[in-house]
Amino acid sequence: MPTRRAAQPIRWLQALGLASDAEAVNDLGPATVALDRDGLVRLHWANGTKITESAAREAVAAVNHICAGQRHPMLVDMTGTASVTRPARAVFAEPSAASTIALLGGSAVDRVIANFILGVSTVPVPTRFFHRRGRGVGLAAGRPA
Amino acid sequence: MTEVREDPRLDRLVDLVVRLASGDLAARLEPSSARDAVDAVITGINLLADELEEMYQDLEQRVAERTAALDQAHLDLERMALSDSLTGLANRTLLNDRIQQAVARAERGAQPPAVLLLDLDEFKTINDSLGHGAGDAVLVEVARRLTSVIRDTDTVARLGGDEFAILMPDATEEQALRVAQRALKALRLPVTVGDRAVWALASIGLRFGSHSQTAEILLRDADTAMYAAKARGRGNIQVFQPAMHSTALARMQVATELGAALAAGQLSLHYQPIVELATGEIIGAEALVRWLHPKRGQIIPAEFISVAEDSGLIVKIGHWGLRTAIGQLAAWARQFPLSPGFRLHVNLSPFEVRRPGLSEHIERTLEHHDVSPSRLTLEIAETGLMTGDTNGVETLLRLQALGISIEVDDFGTGHSSISSLRQLAADSVKLDESLIVDIASDPQQRQFVGAILQLIESVGLGLGVEGVETAAQLDELQALGCRYGQGYYFSPAVTVEVMTHLLLSRAILGNRTGRPGAPGRQGNRPSGRSNGKC
Repeated sequence: MPTRRAAQPIRWLQALGLASDAEAVNDLGPATVALDRDGLVRLHWANGTKITESAAREAVAAVNHICAGQRHPMLVDMTGTASVTRPARAVFAEPSAASTIALLGGSAVDRVIANFILGVSTVPVPTRFFHRRGRGVGLAAGRPA
Repeated sequence: MTEVREDPRLDRLVDLVVRLASGDLAARLEPSSARDAVDAVITGINLLADELEEMYQDLEQRVAERTAALDQAHLDLERMALSDSLTGLANRTLLNDRIQQAVARAERGAQPPAVLLLDLDEFKTINDSLGHGAGDAVLVEVARRLTSVIRDTDTVARLGGDEFAILMPDATEEQALRVAQRALKALRLPVTVGDRAVWALASIGLRFGSHSQTAEILLRDADTAMYAAKARGRGNIQVFQPAMHSTALARMQVATELGAALAAGQLSLHYQPIVELATGEIIGAEALVRWLHPKRGQIIPAEFISVAEDSGLIVKIGHWGLRTAIGQLAAWARQFPLSPGFRLHVNLSPFEVRRPGLSEHIERTLEHHDVSPSRLTLEIAETGLMTGDTNGVETLLRLQALGISIEVDDFGTGHSSISSLRQLAADSVKLDESLIVDIASDPQQRQFVGAILQLIESVGLGLGVEGVETAAQLDELQALGCRYGQGYYFSPAVTVEVMTHLLLSRAILGNRTGRPGAPGRQGNRPSGRSNGKC
């Protein structure tokens, strides 16, 4: 798994205005994982990604790696993901370093996919879907939006 | 609403639902880049279809697994029903089935099958003396060895107990005999059970099949041939002959009647004097069993001892013979003083020797009648001593330790080597009558017997001879240095009353002054050997 322990701004983090705060980043191809200075883990799925089991496992492993044994709240930006397979959803049901999870989406499609993750699998920590126009980022980070 | 109906994705969505409903669970629809509500529905249906497909595949897989498990269970059940659980060989049901198949093939032009039936000789002794665990281990080893001698197309089956069968479909007589011989050879090697070596020799009956015979008939005939093999001394092969049927039936009849005969008091002991050749003085007697059948009259032991051995009755008869003989010895001792060296000889079957408890039984009987063990000589056939059975050897050593003398009977009929003579747990040897029958007329035979006597003397064993019938034989035996003997020249086996009279009168046998003498000339000598071994 390619890992960079250097703060390197990523497109979506920049878009969210949080890139400058990132202290560690994992770039996994379809997914990018970063841990910002506030202790928020950010997992971003590239637009149009079909989340497979292997992609899900790599992402969870990167999250665990970047958290280095600590538990952190996690924001998952799944805006524009194309689909998520059943085995991939099972991976998200496994325990990880995330203490709470906010799923962030921007469309009805994202919402449907997110709710399949939530409804079909039993996620191990509090998990909710937020529209990106709402206050998901703040909630997931444990601060007001 | 109008706009929604005109959205082409909706038609495709309807098609998707139709395909899914028709069972095409792989059908999917790509959402558009709009990612609006319609795309959300498409995505949702795609994901639901994923779920449905996964569940369906999971169900299919489970059904396949359960079906495979069920098939395996059927196979296991079938195997259990058709195989012997101890050895893993085919059982009687499967063997019957395969015989029928082989017969059917023969009717279509193949060679008829051959059936070999093997019964282990004296397996019961192994079970009785070493326990059933050891017996099972022997059966498993026998199964392994039999399997190693057959052709790929043959079947080895265990029919129960110590009985095995080999089916050879499409077999020539030569092939069948070869497999039978290989089986005998394979079983000649000892089987190691724990720290003991035991022998699981077999008698084999062989039935060559012919067309249109049932499995039942083939097995029955092979069984008959197997009994013929046992009657011929075990450890051999007999091919079925139709005449064997009547023999088998007669043996069954004898076995049934013999059990009753013992209880009904139809068995009795006769006694044949053993004399000092030089003087004619009686120095002992051999107890010999007689069966007075209510309809058939006197039956010679040769007709019933092997049946008794096969049926296990030999043990009861042997115990009865020992009790009766020792009781008679005590009775004589009460009636008159027996000469100091007088010994009563009682025959033991190898079966009795190998069964546990024999030495204790004899010791108790001697004590009960207050008879000294030094008055008793136990005769056991050479072949019975040479099996290498450790139990039997231990029993004989215990008997010797009590002071009982052990004599090798019928010496010269077995396979004793010079070296094994020294190792036998025996005190004396009795030459078989076949060795002396021509001793007076055949110089070579005389020389041969002389060499044997020297050999026996050199290993420190005592010597007796049986079957002395003529004065000429007596002269030769004396000239060769033989000291003791028995036979018609001196006396046949006589009733207890006659024997009592001979002992009481201190009779001199063999008519030392004017040969031939009495009472050996009285009565007719039965054809064949009359020495019944009990």
